[in-house]
Amino acid sequence: MTRAIRNYFVFLQRCVCIALVGDWRYYAWTGLLTAVSLLGLNAYCRQFAHGLIVTGMSDEVSWGVYIANFTFLVGVAAAAVMMVIPVYIYKNEDLHDLVIFGELLAVAAILMCLAFVTVDLGRPDRFWHLIPGIGQFNFPKSMLSWDVIVLNGYLLLNVHICGYLLYCRYRKTKPGKWFYIPFVFIAIVWAVSIHTVTAFLYVGLGGRPFWNSSIVGPRFLASAFTAGPALIILAMQVVRRVTSSSSLGLGSPEGGGAPSPPPKRRAATPDDFVLLTRYLPEIGSVPSEIRQRLLPMAEVLEVQPGDILLRQGETEDKAFFILRGCVVVKRQEGGRFRITRTAGPGEQFGEITALDGTPRTATAFAEEPSLVLSLSAAALRLLMKSPQVNKIVRSRMSERLLITDRALMTLRSIVQVSMLINVFLLANEVFKEFYSGNLHVVSSKYLFVGLKNHHALVPWIWTAIAFNLIAMVLLVLPVSRSLKWLNVTCILCIVGIWIEKGMGLVIPGFIPTPLGEMMEYRPSLNETLVCFGIWSFGLLCYTVFLRMSVPILQGRLCQENEGAPDQSSNAAAAGAAPRG
Amino acid sequence: MTANAKTGITLAVVYAAFSALVLAFLSDSGGTHLTRPAIALVDTNFLDRSTTRRSYADLVRAGADLSDFDCYVCHDKKQPPPLRLDTNLNIIVATEHSDIVMGHGRHGRNNNCFNCHNETNLVLLQPRDGRELKFSDSTQLCGSCHGPTYRDWEAGAHGRISGYWDRSKGAMERKDCVNCHNPHSPRFPSRKPAPGPHPLREIGATAGPQTGQE
Amino acid sequence: MDQNDMDKPPSSPASQPAPPADAMGRRSFLRTSAVLATGLAALAASLKPLLEMNDFPTMERFLQKYYKEMTPQDMAKVLKRIEDEVEQQYGLRPQVRDLKPMAGVEYVYCLNLTRCIGCRKCVHACVAENNESHDPEIQYIRVLRLPDGSLDIDKAEHFYAPDSVPEKGYFYMPVQCQQCKNPPCVKVCPVHATWQETDGITVIDYDWCIGCRYCEAACPYWARRFNFTKPTIPKDRLNPDMAYLGNRPRRQGVMEKCHFCIQRTRVGRYPACLEVCPAGARKFGNILDPNSEVSYILRSKRVFIQLKEEMGTSPRFFYYFDV
Repeated sequence: MTRAIRNYFVFLQRCVCIALVGDWRYYAWTGLLTAVSLLGLNAYCRQFAHGLIVTGMSDEVSWGVYIANFTFLVGVAAAAVMMVIPVYIYKNEDLHDLVIFGELLAVAAILMCLAFVTVDLGRPDRFWHLIPGIGQFNFPKSMLSWDVIVLNGYLLLNVHICGYLLYCRYRKTKPGKWFYIPFVFIAIVWAVSIHTVTAFLYVGLGGRPFWNSSIVGPRFLASAFTAGPALIILAMQVVRRVTSSSSLGLGSPEGGGAPSPPPKRRAATPDDFVLLTRYLPEIGSVPSEIRQRLLPMAEVLEVQPGDILLRQGETEDKAFFILRGCVVVKRQEGGRFRITRTAGPGEQFGEITALDGTPRTATAFAEEPSLVLSLSAAALRLLMKSPQVNKIVRSRMSERLLITDRALMTLRSIVQVSMLINVFLLANEVFKEFYSGNLHVVSSKYLFVGLKNHHALVPWIWTAIAFNLIAMVLLVLPVSRSLKWLNVTCILCIVGIWIEKGMGLVIPGFIPTPLGEMMEYRPSLNETLVCFGIWSFGLLCYTVFLRMSVPILQGRLCQENEGAPDQSSNAAAAGAAPRG
Repeated sequence: MTANAKTGITLAVVYAAFSALVLAFLSDSGGTHLTRPAIALVDTNFLDRSTTRRSYADLVRAGADLSDFDCYVCHDKKQPPPLRLDTNLNIIVATEHSDIVMGHGRHGRNNNCFNCHNETNLVLLQPRDGRELKFSDSTQLCGSCHGPTYRDWEAGAHGRISGYWDRSKGAMERKDCVNCHNPHSPRFPSRKPAPGPHPLREIGATAGPQTGQE
Repeated sequence: MDQNDMDKPPSSPASQPAPPADAMGRRSFLRTSAVLATGLAALAASLKPLLEMNDFPTMERFLQKYYKEMTPQDMAKVLKRIEDEVEQQYGLRPQVRDLKPMAGVEYVYCLNLTRCIGCRKCVHACVAENNESHDPEIQYIRVLRLPDGSLDIDKAEHFYAPDSVPEKGYFYMPVQCQQCKNPPCVKVCPVHATWQETDGITVIDYDWCIGCRYCEAACPYWARRFNFTKPTIPKDRLNPDMAYLGNRPRRQGVMEKCHFCIQRTRVGRYPACLEVCPAGARKFGNILDPNSEVSYILRSKRVFIQLKEEMGTSPRFFYYFDV
């Protein structure tokens, strides 16, 4: 038991240490985020000392950008978990990586939500009044109390799921189904609830007819599931790009650089196949006589980091299986390299060309000193005569090659449908407000056309609507299948919906006041700094989470190599020694 | 440039940024960095709870000078004061009573002094039913014509009241008609209002009237 | 002996296992530590504005109990502490009482719209009586000017400033907390800092409020006010006759609103707004007492306006016209 606790603490300690290590891009990014976060913290201290007068809020408009950002981020957190559904339907082990990235984004988003709510409080020192049992928790009457429960519950759910899966990966043990699958399904339902409860905060106020409408809840969900997956699409591409060897401090091999000395080759031996079987058990089903016939057609290469194993566009038709180490597969598109995937022991690459002769679709580099088994096309075909090997190779081929792109396209479909629904609901709202001509529409009038010479929000809402409509058209057209256009569309979605939810929902509810006073709102500099600070803090958290989780998922941060010093010459001995 | 050098430079830049932040934070002068125009204290007139006028009864209670109410210093006890009307049958107020402006009732409906005053005994008031009322009971006189208002006044619904709503704890004091209404020109006087509210933010709030009929 | 050992592939002497991801050389460790140290220094320096706080809560105030859970001894201590604080700040020792609602009493307010001339004396009398902040300005009562013939609130003018009132063609409607029977603000408060007492007054425990302003968003009458910073009361205008749930000075970051002058009404007196009104437009009393003026009014007058009646809030404020 104590060994388990000790191991866990070592795991946490190593996670913290790894967050301090990175390449110059990592330091620049985290340095920038930390600096902005500190500016935000300083601005918040000023607010804590002097009160909310340093913001732009007033009795007339008593909620502002803090709550606007909170509302938007609850949606992002809810949608991050939607990634989970394709995974558990496709039942692919490797997609778990993406699930974890999505759930880590949810954790970061919820942390930001909690931060935004806290900075909005007039007396944050009285937070303990909210704790049920110790304080006075107005559950179930107050929707805010519901929100406290669902947000914190969601945070705990996601922290548990991510933490558990990552720790299992770290220890290279298979995660126990009952420890996370039920929680994942709960998280899916919970995600819908956090956003519905947040919508109900507004819908439940009869004194504010602009909010007291049944369409607010569905619109919240539709816009959340548009903006959230759009954010994930963008974030995943960034993750893909930076989880290359350069971010790990091991040098950055780019295609076509100075030629490296050719890798050492030797003929394959039966032991190599035994080694391969450890990682790819299906090889064990190949009868030894077949293996004997393969040997002349197989080679083993010892490669150093940066060594190129195959190049995009070539037609050489060897297939490769990794025996030890790590290989990165990068695809060049439009002058830039985009990482398709990283492969570890037991995994294959280059098999498509071997099997059907199409030119190499990507370039493969060794990321670390590796041992790679190279098979000729004939050898591969021979190997695949075994039905089990055939099945595993084909399944990995079809699912793994375009896995990241497929996930992105799945997300694109979610964004597409959600945006269509979102625009449809907007049309419903506009019709309802303006067609009948009744008098409860003053806030909508203020928002869309201005009221009594006040029209500060009009350009914002129409920009948001334009962005949403353009994004909707792009999503429906096939042009958004190309990543460049998809990214433009995602940015339009995110910005459009941020404006719509923040300025288009929270602020007009206060203008005019219930007594008809017109008072507009502009966030102060201090308030804006606090917002930037919290966003930076959230992004910093997410960056650090990724920095910790990517090596774990790649197998490079694991319990086995605990305590190995960076001179890796005696790593084999030290790392192999049992600890604890 | 090697990766190591790039990292070194980046770390140096970050170091410099953090140091700059330390200096910026410590050298900040403090305060809210906000200025607001000062709001003047409201004139104490607007906090004054006294009534517009003092009634005869108030004067008596206060032991004030009642010489103005001693009619027979000038008037003759044996002879009622004459009533002079002009060609339009509007009353001509004697110069000795020039402070009185007749305005009780529109179109000169009530412009006869002796509708209220008792011409045979000027220290009394006379309602239509022949009762004789002292000046300190003038409310009865008003009520003899203004019935509904008098009923409301009796219940405490019309006019100013002060003191205790809970009569068991103290008295409720009802003001008389003449505390607010000048009996000769009873229309409630208009006055300058106290200053309007000073909202916290200036954005969008215009200084003057905002309503447009839209 | 770890099971992992058995699975370890034999390492070929020429190839080296990759360094673990968290390995760091000594030089980079020093570099990173230097940056970290500056970062921590920046963190500490960023907290500097906190030194400007002169109202940081003491442990006693931090742990102060909820009003409804205080024993009389707790309350006595708290009242004395408040008296000490006010004396220290304003140089005048107040009397702060915890007044309980009277039995058999339910307050109702009637406001005669024929009589209101829009002079705003009620606004300022309220400010003086209840120690409301002068700057930033907090006023519980807001007088609206409406054109004759319409109760459309969107036609209301808040900032009228003519030379004399009343103006022809308009009537005036003062609005303050309606002490609703079904108060939306009570429903939404996450910490029960506001509730309705048996005599009908919706009160706030200023020391319990966390300042989330959800009640301010929920109120259909815009009756609640928030202390955006430390309130300022002009020293010579402090009213020392105070109540815990009423007009004792509030703090930065908490809500406040009209409480029917709880320090006056619970000892049987009229609220300040009523007493100062020159036209006698305001009437207040116990609706359960058939002899009160408010009972009389509700019996005999025909037209009543409860603002935004359709909200279902059941306000205790009845506006009516006389003529």
